[in-house]
Amino acid sequence: MKPLVVDNVSKQYGDKTAVNGIQFEVGAGEIYGLLGANGAGKTTTMRMVLGLIYPDDGKILYQGKPYSQEQLKMLGYLPEERGMYPKVKISDQVIYLAQLRGMSRKDADRNLKMWLEKFNISEYYNKKIEELSKGNQQKIQFIAAVIHEPKIIILDEAFSGLDPVNVELLKKTVKELRDSGTTILFSTHRMEHVEELCRNITILHKSNTVLQGNLKEIKKQFTRERVILGTETELKGLEGIAGVRQVNRQEYGYELFIDREETAQAILRHAMSQAELSRFELLEPTLNEIFIRSVGDINE
Amino acid sequence: MNNFLTVIGFTIRNKMRTKSFLITTAIIAIILSIGVNLPYIISQFNKDEPANIGFIETNAPEVTGPLKAYYEGMENPGLKLISYPDTGSGEANEEALRQAIISGDIKGYILFESNEAVGFPKVFYKSEGLMDMGTSGTLSAALQTIKTDAVLQEAGLTEAQELLLRSPIEIETTQISLTDAAVGEGKSADQQGLAMGFVYAMMILLFMGIFVTSQLIATEITAEKSSRVMEILVTSVSPLTQMFGKIFGMFLIGIMQIGVYVAVFVINVTLPHNVEMLEGLNINFADIDPSLYVFAVIFYLTGYFLYSTLFAAVGSIVSRTEDLAQALMPITFLSMGGFYIGIFGMTSPTATFVEITSFIPFFAPFAMFLRIGLTDPAFWEIALSLGLLVACILLFGWLSAKIYRTGVLMYGKRPSFKELRKAMKAYKV
Repeated sequence: MKPLVVDNVSKQYGDKTAVNGIQFEVGAGEIYGLLGANGAGKTTTMRMVLGLIYPDDGKILYQGKPYSQEQLKMLGYLPEERGMYPKVKISDQVIYLAQLRGMSRKDADRNLKMWLEKFNISEYYNKKIEELSKGNQQKIQFIAAVIHEPKIIILDEAFSGLDPVNVELLKKTVKELRDSGTTILFSTHRMEHVEELCRNITILHKSNTVLQGNLKEIKKQFTRERVILGTETELKGLEGIAGVRQVNRQEYGYELFIDREETAQAILRHAMSQAELSRFELLEPTLNEIFIRSVGDINE
Repeated sequence: MNNFLTVIGFTIRNKMRTKSFLITTAIIAIILSIGVNLPYIISQFNKDEPANIGFIETNAPEVTGPLKAYYEGMENPGLKLISYPDTGSGEANEEALRQAIISGDIKGYILFESNEAVGFPKVFYKSEGLMDMGTSGTLSAALQTIKTDAVLQEAGLTEAQELLLRSPIEIETTQISLTDAAVGEGKSADQQGLAMGFVYAMMILLFMGIFVTSQLIATEITAEKSSRVMEILVTSVSPLTQMFGKIFGMFLIGIMQIGVYVAVFVINVTLPHNVEMLEGLNINFADIDPSLYVFAVIFYLTGYFLYSTLFAAVGSIVSRTEDLAQALMPITFLSMGGFYIGIFGMTSPTATFVEITSFIPFFAPFAMFLRIGLTDPAFWEIALSLGLLVACILLFGWLSAKIYRTGVLMYGKRPSFKELRKAMKAYKV
């Protein structure tokens, strides 16, 4: 049994359905992407996983067991809306939060020091949150979510508002946690992060699951429809090839959208007959495009 | 249980570290010390020379003579009369006396003007002070005595008659118990005064302990919500543990604070000079019925837990500290109402409105305590009032826990009762 199983879970607020029959499993050492536009039901799903609200239907299992107070201790949560006590010393509040999740004061203190050192911010041990920059506040928030060595971590928009250096630092840390066997439920609007981190994803749209599965397989389902040609010479007659939908002149050469993958070979032959190519690529769609297409289709 | 203690510990540690809390406690302790020592301090100043009052030698000597003798005969005279020579003209006399005030020799002066109709001269007291009641009061009393003496001397009464005329009327008021069988027992006037003072002090302590601390709880909960640390807290520890941990932690803080005040008070009162002072005023703290202390503690506990759970519930539904005061308005009025019933009821503790409100749980901690302290309610009345109070605590504790559980997750505008109920249903709490 996988560490986190969400089995056909639904939630209604009055007559409004917030989540409709969502179903997924997250394995140990896996980062699972939960995607969706604003108001799609991500937060409600996460709150149900956290046991803050109870599902109307379906069940959530943690290591095969239903939710209980004990399960809380193996959960770690990084909320989308960051928040700590602004006027309390970092050591005090992080240790407090770790203690609430069943850690001894001593262990919590040791872990906190270890994490602060890892993030190169050891000097903030005795500082207050309000004295820190936003990026460093987020690091502390992240530490608060993982300090008690949780088995399951829920990261809601983990990298928002961070500079690229800190994004890389946290991304590296998340990968390390994954490699040490932690189960991670990951939600974000940044598709490139999902492509880099997640093995499986669920895309929610207006409370419903619209796309689900292994990220690589999902991508395969979508035709590779974008061709990149790198050249400095002007090419003629690209529009005339059967199956070409659109041709864009770009700085690096041409970008073409095609109907069938076979068309790509025809384009290559056509282009090579006219000029020297520095680059030819048949690209699978980015997750960004897949997301917009899945969510957009239903909008229409 | 472990988490409960952790929450309590965190609450206490944080509060103890805030400067404002420490400063407030220190300031109140200092004010309290000054207050306790004030009678002694004032008495120290009063041992100074009596105030000098000037008069003109030739102006109504039949009055000023005995008046001077009257004050000189006293052991601790408040006034001393100083004579000034007559310069001949009234205006020059007054000018001389004015100069004497300016030079600081005298505080004021008296002038007399014959009043044929009454037979006793009309008196003018002139000083720089506005409405110098203290001086004119003692002057009036002294002159009254002198007048009576003068009349009595002429009347030729016997000594016994004179004594009878002079002796003041004595009324001894005793508060009796209507429920106890014993006749003739009760609280003497001194004891009543003491009980009144004690009840008054307790009312203020109750109000502070209950209202101020509850308000702090609500503020802290809203602050946790607005700083969004609440989201992490509710996923770490059950909201009930969190709420009652906070209430209990603040309770201990409140007790500690009151403990400091009581200690400061007791230490000050037991200082030798204050012991003397209290004996002189006939105040003996052992005279207070020990059960009154017990009831003070009981009503503090019940009042605190009733209001703190309510304040916590309101704090949990407000998302921003700016909106808190407004949301707290209704229960603020309730607690203020209780306090004012207590204070105003003090002069008429047997009034119907005090009796009725002593059974309404929101007011009972004040009204019932007032009745127990100043009158003698039947045992069943106390039991009923306390029973209702405890039932109310359980009811509101349960309700507040539900509201809290729901409220902490609701952000945005303050929810209406309907929205709250809907959310409760949706969250299955």
